Amino acid sequence: MFYDLHMHSCLSPCADDEMTPNNICNMALIKGLELIAVTDHNSVRQQPAIDKVAKAVGIRVLYGCELESSEAVHCLGLFARLEDNQKLQPWIDSQMPGIPNKPDYYGKQQIMNEFDQEIGIEDQLLIVSLNASLDEVIDEIHRCGGKAVLAHVLDRKNSITHELGFIPEDLKYDGIEVKSEEQRQLVLKLHPWIKDEETVWFIDSDAHRLTDISEPDHWLRDSDFRKLWG
Amino acid sequence: MKVSELVEKTGWVRKTGGDNEITGVYCGDLLSWVMGRGEPGQVWITVQIHRNIVAVASLREFSCIVIADGAEIPAEILEKAEEENIPVLAADKPVFDLAKQMVALGF
Repeated sequence: MFYDLHMHSCLSPCADDEMTPNNICNMALIKGLELIAVTDHNSVRQQPAIDKVAKAVGIRVLYGCELESSEAVHCLGLFARLEDNQKLQPWIDSQMPGIPNKPDYYGKQQIMNEFDQEIGIEDQLLIVSLNASLDEVIDEIHRCGGKAVLAHVLDRKNSITHELGFIPEDLKYDGIEVKSEEQRQLVLKLHPWIKDEETVWFIDSDAHRLTDISEPDHWLRDSDFRKLWG
Repeated sequence: MKVSELVEKTGWVRKTGGDNEITGVYCGDLLSWVMGRGEPGQVWITVQIHRNIVAVASLREFSCIVIADGAEIPAEILEKAEEENIPVLAADKPVFDLAKQMVALGF
């Protein structure tokens, strides 16, 4: 199925205000995507609205988030069930450094309902490192029943290779996100211990604007989907 | 100067064994950066406590790793460092203060 499993709603301060649940789901549908995930920084508070809108418009979703570890590494947490995804929030809250957002500088952090009406504002800045290490972040995603995908692993910002030099052999991740086929080849070349055939690879948009959501260019095999999410 | 003399002069707490010759100092926490720029024999001062630091120190042949600012060092780092024979030292002061101590020692 055509997918895009990394995009930000208007809850992420850095995303456009137009990234509302209805706009995201409908744009994904227009583009011909069949599976999406909204992955806000360090929060799953937008997911209930995403769930309702996705069901109403008829697009399949995974319930997501993009957590930032204490080493400033970004990791996606992707869940088949909303209730499992929501189990993450109390843990995230307990690991936040508690820095207030400055909306004029970073942007608004809006929580919406299924009618794209604002029902809350997140006051703590979400684009921060949690107090938990990457291992702890991955363990917590697993404990709640989700899968951990290392985000944009070759980026020059907030990626595992940038912050930690390389992907450790014993890290318990479930998938690797790259930006292109060339990057996939480079990751394999840099990490002889990563086995291509055993790895589930993702190419996502990391969209912060509606127009940046992926075209139907990237295909996830049913077998890979079932392997991760049943 | 060797690592044992450094421990004696600074009071930094030795966590693992090994006694390499010191050639200079490097400070940094971003491991891709450190991997690209560190030089053999340098004392590496950092607050990065992910286990990858042992591999990076081994790759760059640092004389020792100094964990600054009282950052809590996971046991697995000490085990790996012991295996690789890389001295790990712990210090309570921030990186800048430790760097000043190194300058005072003539580096």
